[in-house]
Order: sequence, then C-alpha cells, then structure tokens
Amino acid sequence: MTTKLLDVENLTMKFGGLVAIDDLSFSAAKDQITSIIGPNGAGKTTVFNCLTGFYKATAGSMFLNKENERLNLKKFSDFKVAQKAGVARTFQNIRLFPQMSVLENLMVAQHNKLMDASGFTILGLFNASSFVNKEKEAVEISKYWLDIIGLTHRADDDAGDLPYGDQRKLEIVRAMCINPHLLCLDEPAAGLNAKESAELNKLLLFIKNEKKTGILLIEHDMSVVMEISDHVVVLNYGKKIFQGSAKETKNSPAVIEAYLGTEE
Amino acid sequence: MRKNFLQSSIKDSLFTGLIALALFGPIVGLRTVAKNEVLVVSPKWFIVLVIVVVCALGRFLTNLYIYNRDQKYGIQSTIGKSITNFLDTKGTQIALSAIIFSVIFPFLPFTDRYLMDIAIMMLTYIMLGWGLNIVIGLAGLLDLGYVAFYAVGAYSYALFAIHFGWSFWICLPIAGIFAAMFGVLLGFPVLRLRGDYLAIVTLAFGEMIRILLLNWYQLTKGPDGLTGIPRPSFFGLPFKSFPDEGEQTFHTFFGLEYSPMQRIIFLYYLILVLALITNLFTIKIRRLPIGRAWEALREDEIACKSLGVNPRNTKLTAFAIGAMFGGFAGSFFATRQAFISPESFTFIESAIIVAIVVLGGMGSQTGVVLATIFLIGLIEVFRDFESYRMIAFGGAMVLIMIFRPRGILATRKPTITLQKKEAAK
Repeated sequence: MTTKLLDVENLTMKFGGLVAIDDLSFSAAKDQITSIIGPNGAGKTTVFNCLTGFYKATAGSMFLNKENERLNLKKFSDFKVAQKAGVARTFQNIRLFPQMSVLENLMVAQHNKLMDASGFTILGLFNASSFVNKEKEAVEISKYWLDIIGLTHRADDDAGDLPYGDQRKLEIVRAMCINPHLLCLDEPAAGLNAKESAELNKLLLFIKNEKKTGILLIEHDMSVVMEISDHVVVLNYGKKIFQGSAKETKNSPAVIEAYLGTEE
Repeated sequence: MRKNFLQSSIKDSLFTGLIALALFGPIVGLRTVAKNEVLVVSPKWFIVLVIVVVCALGRFLTNLYIYNRDQKYGIQSTIGKSITNFLDTKGTQIALSAIIFSVIFPFLPFTDRYLMDIAIMMLTYIMLGWGLNIVIGLAGLLDLGYVAFYAVGAYSYALFAIHFGWSFWICLPIAGIFAAMFGVLLGFPVLRLRGDYLAIVTLAFGEMIRILLLNWYQLTKGPDGLTGIPRPSFFGLPFKSFPDEGEQTFHTFFGLEYSPMQRIIFLYYLILVLALITNLFTIKIRRLPIGRAWEALREDEIACKSLGVNPRNTKLTAFAIGAMFGGFAGSFFATRQAFISPESFTFIESAIIVAIVVLGGMGSQTGVVLATIFLIGLIEVFRDFESYRMIAFGGAMVLIMIFRPRGILATRKPTITLQKKEAAK
C-alpha cells in the first residue's frame, strides 16, 4: 500500500485575469514517481512554483505528509519550503552556481545544517571540532552523491565547465543533498541525448527505490515519462484532464486530443 | 588574410581618430579667451591634432598586438604573457612576500616620512578594499556607498573619544558595531534589489550620510568638522615630545630619543595589523557556510532559495560585516588625522574603493593589494602634475581593463576541495 506524500487540493493560481491553474487536485505517493505532463503553457511549471513557494497560490491547499505531521506548504514562503518542509526542486533551465566548484555546489545545498553546526559562524571561525566534523560529514555526503553520478573526478572543477548532461545530473543530486521528502524535477531530460536520458532514468529510479524520496516530474520526453513514472497527471489549460498509470495515459482519448487535436 | 587584417585595422584606427576629433575638437580645440572685454575663440588645433594622432595610433597598435587573434601577425608580447602567467599561478607567493615586505618596510634605509604617509594611506585603502570585497566580490552586491560606513566609523570613533575620553581600543569595536548597524540599515530596504538598481540606492545612501553629517551641526559640527580627536597611545603610553610632569611617554619608557617618526611607525603597524585581521577574517569566513552562501547568492539567488538558503540573512550579514570593517578603517582614519569633516567622505572615495575591488579582480584578496598599489601609487607618483594625475588614474583603469578584463587576479580558488593534493597546493 502506498502512502500519500503530497495532497494538492483545489489549487488555483491566477495572474490578474489569467487563470494559470484552475482547481487542480492530485496527489503523489511516497515511493512513486508522479509525472505531470501536458502541452506547452498548460501550467506545469506554475504548479511547481506554487509548491516550492516561489508563487503564492490564489486558492487551494497543498499538504505534505511527513511521518507524524501534515504540513500545509502554502504557509511557507520561498526558501522555507526547502528549509523547513523539505521540498527540493530543479529548474527548467539549469540553475547551478557556475563559477563555484562541483563540490561547493553540493556544500551550499547543505547550508542550513552546516550553518547550525558553525554556531552562526562564530564556532566555525575558531575551528570548533563539532563544526569540523559536521563539515567532513557533509563532504562525505557530497562524495557519496558524486560517486553515484560518476563525477567524483571533477569535484574540484567549476560547475559551469561540466558538459550539459552532467550539469543536469549535478543539479538533481544537489537538490538531493538537502535531504528532501519530495523532489520536484522540472524537465530534467530536456536537451539530453538517448544515452544520457537512460542514465537519468537510472538515477531517478535509484532515488525512488533506495532513498524513498517521492518524485514529482515535469517532462516532455515521453520515453522518460512512460518508462519510469508510476502515475501520470495530465494538464491542459491549467485543468487536470486525466490521471492514471503510464499505460492508461498513452491510450486515453482525452490526452491524445489535448496533444494532437481532434479529427474533423 | 594578412592584408585584410591590416586593412581593417587601419580603417578602424582612422575611425577612432575621427571620433577623437569629434570629441576633442570642440572640448580642447576651441578655447574662449577674453580680449578687450569680448570673448574670442582661440583655436588650438595643434593639441587636437596630437590627441587625434595618439588615439588613432593607440587604436592601431592595440588592434595589432592585443585584439589580434591571428598569432602569425600580432606578436602577443612574451612579457605580457609571462606577467599573466605569473599572476595566475603565483598568487600565494606574491601575498607572502608582500606581507614580509610590509613588516620590515618602516626600517628600510630609504623609508622617510613621505613614504610612510603614502604607505599608511595605501594600507587604509587596502583595508577598505578588503572590507568591500566581502560585499562586492563575495556576495556580489554592488555597493557604491561604502564610504558611508567609513564615515560612520570615523565619526562614532571621534565622538566617543572626544566626549567620553575612551581609548582607541574601546572606541574601535564600538565604531565597528555602529558601522555594522548602518550596514543592516542600508541592507533592509535593498534586499530585493540587484545590480544597477542596488548601485543607485547605495550611492544615494552614501550621499545621505554625508549630507546628514554636514547638516547635523549640534552633533557633528557640520562643515567645520571635529577637531582634537585623541591620538592613539601605545598601550597607554602617549607619543609626546614634552611629557607633563611625572607622565610616562613612549620615548621615556623605552629610553629612546623623541622622534615624530615613532608615532608614524606605530600608526603604520596599527593599520597593517587591522588590515591583516580583515584579510584573515575574510579568508576564513569564505570557507565557512556563510561565505559559501554569499558566493552562491552572487551566482544565483533563485537557486539559493530552492536550496533553503535564507537570502535575507545572508545579504544582511554581508552588508553588516563589510560595513564593520569600513567602520574600523574609519576609526583609524579619525585617529590618524585628528580632524575629520564631511569633506573626506565624498562619493569619489567610494568610487576609488569600488575601482580597487573591481580592478583587483572580484573576490581576490591579493588583487585588491595590487590594484591599490597600482592606482594609489600612480596618483602619488603623478602628484606634481596636479589635476593631470587623474588622467593617469583613468589611463591605468583602461589599461587594466584591456589587459586583464576580469581584474588583475581573476582566478578563483574553490573554498573546499576533495582531492588532497589540490588542497595542499
């Protein structure tokens, strides 16, 4: 039995007169990959921006179910969604820290716990052993993730110098370094070649199966969506038009209509 | 291809000459002179001709030797290349030898009063540059009003020292705290601003502080300035030629001949220590989570938010800590001059400090030192030429931007490394 990790209820987002998301409800399970698909402009990224606190939703609620608490994500403003609720995200156009090294990128992701350990910098200035140990631990975590994506040998290079596919993977593991409950990926396969998207699939399945992190995925690349998602939500003009398994989605007349139009 | 290149660069330099003519023709060439109570235009075409030729030739030479990617024709000077290479790889060695040199500097045979004064001034600028480097270089917040914190530090030091008679070592941290508070005060309204907009607001803030100091006569004595700021003493031993009855002074305590140089040397070491503390602090804090968050914020604020980094606190600490060091430098300035007035805290000071940071290479500590020596040194060398020295100052900036577009020392070293051998380097 899968437990519900995320419950989105009646989410609505309006920009002036434009209704970007219209009364959307869906849920995502803890150990599943939930894909959100839909034609361009369907409101997929807006859903992410509402979830991760970049936009304030006009109406509706989004609940994140942790072991023993139920958090309303709407109550958290931007950075607190990641800090307090543990919702991590990546971006459609990669947002790494290009002039910082690969390792530093992952260390910034562990900022909050390191900041606590550094006693708001004061303990850190005097090299307190508690901080030094915590920092070593953070480096180990970074190294663990770098080993998984095979970038350990480039740890000290600038993130901006990595090939495109590696940057994508780095952004995903950087999000994983905040130890999230829910990982929101905005088109992670965009611009990847067939080999790279196969690697991406492997990475996402690893995160789902080994880390038990729920994944919410926006994707246009149907080979990725069909292969790894357990559950698909289809949006069109801000409305949910279908939800179900990957196979059901492929054969749904409503979805085909949204993508290809109707036969006259 | 060779011929083409030559042709196009000649064309380009002729065009540059034309622009120079259009600019300098009216400005330099036409001068109005009063003759028999009427204004007459006296043309100075020869000077214009010289300027135009210099511009065109300069453009031609830069085209040939610097912008030319075709190595066959343009000879990328080997000296330039080796300097570039030297700066890129030997940063640490340069820094170490500079520290050793600055420690023994007061006792070198050629060091006189004039050189010491310049050295103290340079060190003040270096310290300000290092302080501002936190705000601009690390956190990426273009602050054009940094002199405000320098002023706050100087005035709070002066006021506390004059009215309460507190010693330098008590007033110094107070001045730093005051400046840091003003840093937060500036930080709050500009949290959402970036780039140009931030620059404008900080510039206005700098001017506001200056105008406040100018007009709050009861507190700051306005344009008259504050006089009689106590001189620093060497752990309670003042520097005086004629001590009062029974008073120990520096020279009597150590059994030395009195010399005004003693105080100068003390001031020199004082600012050297303050500057080095600033430097060590910055180097250390860059490797702490807060320092990394500053740099991450400079790179991408939205990504920072998505990782749970609090942008508000991160920015405010950058402003506060940068301002604090500005405040320390201000207290030093006040105690050295013994007189301060709003005149010393004009926008040009901010501009010079920003120039030092940018030309040094954003975020580079050694770069700040090199840029200060280059810019302030140049101003001093050309002091006899009076206002023409600003031309040298501007020329130096242009040259640095041509040869080192990202600053004198532009290479950034990671704050933490995985490979052991990398870290040891």
